[in-house]
Amino acid sequence: MESSILESIGQEIIGVMSPVSLCMLLVVLLVYSLSDSNSFSSAPIRTAANLVYLENPSDTAAQKLEGALLNALVFVILIAIVTFVLVLLYYYNFSNFLKNYMRFSAFFVLGSMGGSIFLSIIQHFSIPIDAITCFLLLFNYTIVGVLSMFSGGVPIILRQGYMLVELASSRDEELPALVYEARPTVSRNEGNPRSTLGFLVAGVSDSGSVELQAVSNNNVRKDGSENRRSPEYAAIQVRNLENVEGERNRVGERSPLVGHSRERYSPDSNSSEYSTVVRNRESEIVVDEERSPLVDMLGMDNEREHEMRDPVVASRGIKLGLGDFVFYSVLVGRAAMYDLMTVYACYLAVISGLGCTLILLSVCHRALPALPISITLGVIFYFLTRLLMEPFVVGIATNLMMF
Amino acid sequence: MTVAAGIGYALVALGPSLSLFISVISKKPFLILTLLSSTLVWLISLIILSGIWRAFLPLNSTSWWPFAILIFSSVAFQEGLRLLFWKVYKRLEDILDAFADRVSKPRLYLTDKMQIALAGGLGHGVAHAVFFCLSLLTPAFGPATYFVDRCSQIPFFLVSAIIALAFVTVHTFSMVIAFNGYAEGNKLDQYFVPSVHLAAGMMTLINFAYDGCVIGIPLLFLMAILTLMHCGRMVWRRLADNQRQGIS
Repeated sequence: MESSILESIGQEIIGVMSPVSLCMLLVVLLVYSLSDSNSFSSAPIRTAANLVYLENPSDTAAQKLEGALLNALVFVILIAIVTFVLVLLYYYNFSNFLKNYMRFSAFFVLGSMGGSIFLSIIQHFSIPIDAITCFLLLFNYTIVGVLSMFSGGVPIILRQGYMLVELASSRDEELPALVYEARPTVSRNEGNPRSTLGFLVAGVSDSGSVELQAVSNNNVRKDGSENRRSPEYAAIQVRNLENVEGERNRVGERSPLVGHSRERYSPDSNSSEYSTVVRNRESEIVVDEERSPLVDMLGMDNEREHEMRDPVVASRGIKLGLGDFVFYSVLVGRAAMYDLMTVYACYLAVISGLGCTLILLSVCHRALPALPISITLGVIFYFLTRLLMEPFVVGIATNLMMF
Repeated sequence: MTVAAGIGYALVALGPSLSLFISVISKKPFLILTLLSSTLVWLISLIILSGIWRAFLPLNSTSWWPFAILIFSSVAFQEGLRLLFWKVYKRLEDILDAFADRVSKPRLYLTDKMQIALAGGLGHGVAHAVFFCLSLLTPAFGPATYFVDRCSQIPFFLVSAIIALAFVTVHTFSMVIAFNGYAEGNKLDQYFVPSVHLAAGMMTLINFAYDGCVIGIPLLFLMAILTLMHCGRMVWRRLADNQRQGIS
């Protein structure tokens, strides 16, 4: 009997949805296991998000609002400055510096946030481990993380795992880390398509190590950027292709600069520092341009706002930006702080929003923002579940009546 | 009662569906999508129902007839949604067949259609288990347990897990029966499903009496076994017919 179409249809969609689900699961587990121990920690840490005004419960509402607005303004300005500096560095070909900076920041982020979570877990579960072993393990974990993200020859599962963990850990609200996506401030450089393509992390469709799906002739190509200028850069490779060009298979978006700036809390100094992580390994594409025909083809429609992907090129699979993962996980993590019912409802809402977006993608053959539908549905379902469904279900379930 | 008990309760409710999922559904991505969408449909139906009934809550828990009306209306609504689900599925089947023709692959087999129905039913069942059982299980991971006086012999969590297990079975296989009934135009099957669902819902009303769960839950499992057997017999008959047709 010939194999039916049911075997292979829908594979891409599931390929996108499973990392998202895994990330959300990780976040929910983290929230549940760490929520008791960390709920009322000591004095709030001064981070970049509250440089100007530190909230005090006894302040009046007007003061809080003013302080919040001021904080937001300062934050935005700071991010803009840092983004600008990074773009300048790109423009003047400081690629080595940027590469090494990226590696360093990945190392630091994995180390510091992973370390904080590790420490919280040790504290919460009273794991007997000494400081030196802990340090060694953490160091090992961080180094392997950096290696897996930035060099070849590492199994792709490991890389995806590290990305997921990094995403999940960076969203932990207990830590003062703020994941923010920088907005590019430099207009698209229409100049030499090759060089810009080679350099800027722009929404280059990554090279195709993606195999064409025989069954689905959807020319789907989506970079889940929030909007055209949102800097989603590193995308999780949605297919487990054993290719070595896996690393080049990144980003799917078109913004010239992908900035992933975080603010970190350095325990030794009491100030927060910024580091803009440009997780874009596009710089490595420079040498490999010849090997990626996709990059060439896309040279022309590079930095334009509303570009239409070449349909042939487009059938390279679906890509989802990392920021989308983060925001989905933020939503679900927030729901987890209330109840498991809201978690499930929000999870379903987000997944269905993602599914709708993917369907839209196959209809409109252009990159679409992944966030609006999912987040809207997620918020709606959260409130509906919390206000309407929960009294209903809990009321009849505790009376042991179900249908 | 500790993490082990919590996980145990969760597995009592969802164990069979987990094994069904791993063995049948996880292999075909389309079935996973069907499962997710049917779970979503069930969730939406639950939200709409709770929206309608919100004004009347909290119900007076001493009289049983408000609950009867509630369960009756809920079951009726969900069966109506099942009909809608069937109509959407028919259209989907046409699309899939057209697609199969386009890529010159065989059209949907009977087993494929049954698997889609199974995935849909499993979605409903999993949604039931999660919303009626798992979401209430969070305290079970802690150090204590909880008893309700309607069923004072065993902890509440265990009771709800067992009831959820029965309902998962009912939901999963009644979807297969229903789709088959609609496809064949078999009136018996078409009426079998809503009546079993309603009967199962009404059985839980028996739990209303003090210690009623001693009678209610075995009856509920009787319904579940009935559904299973009917589904098994129907599938066997269809597959045998299909094979005979294929050979001849």
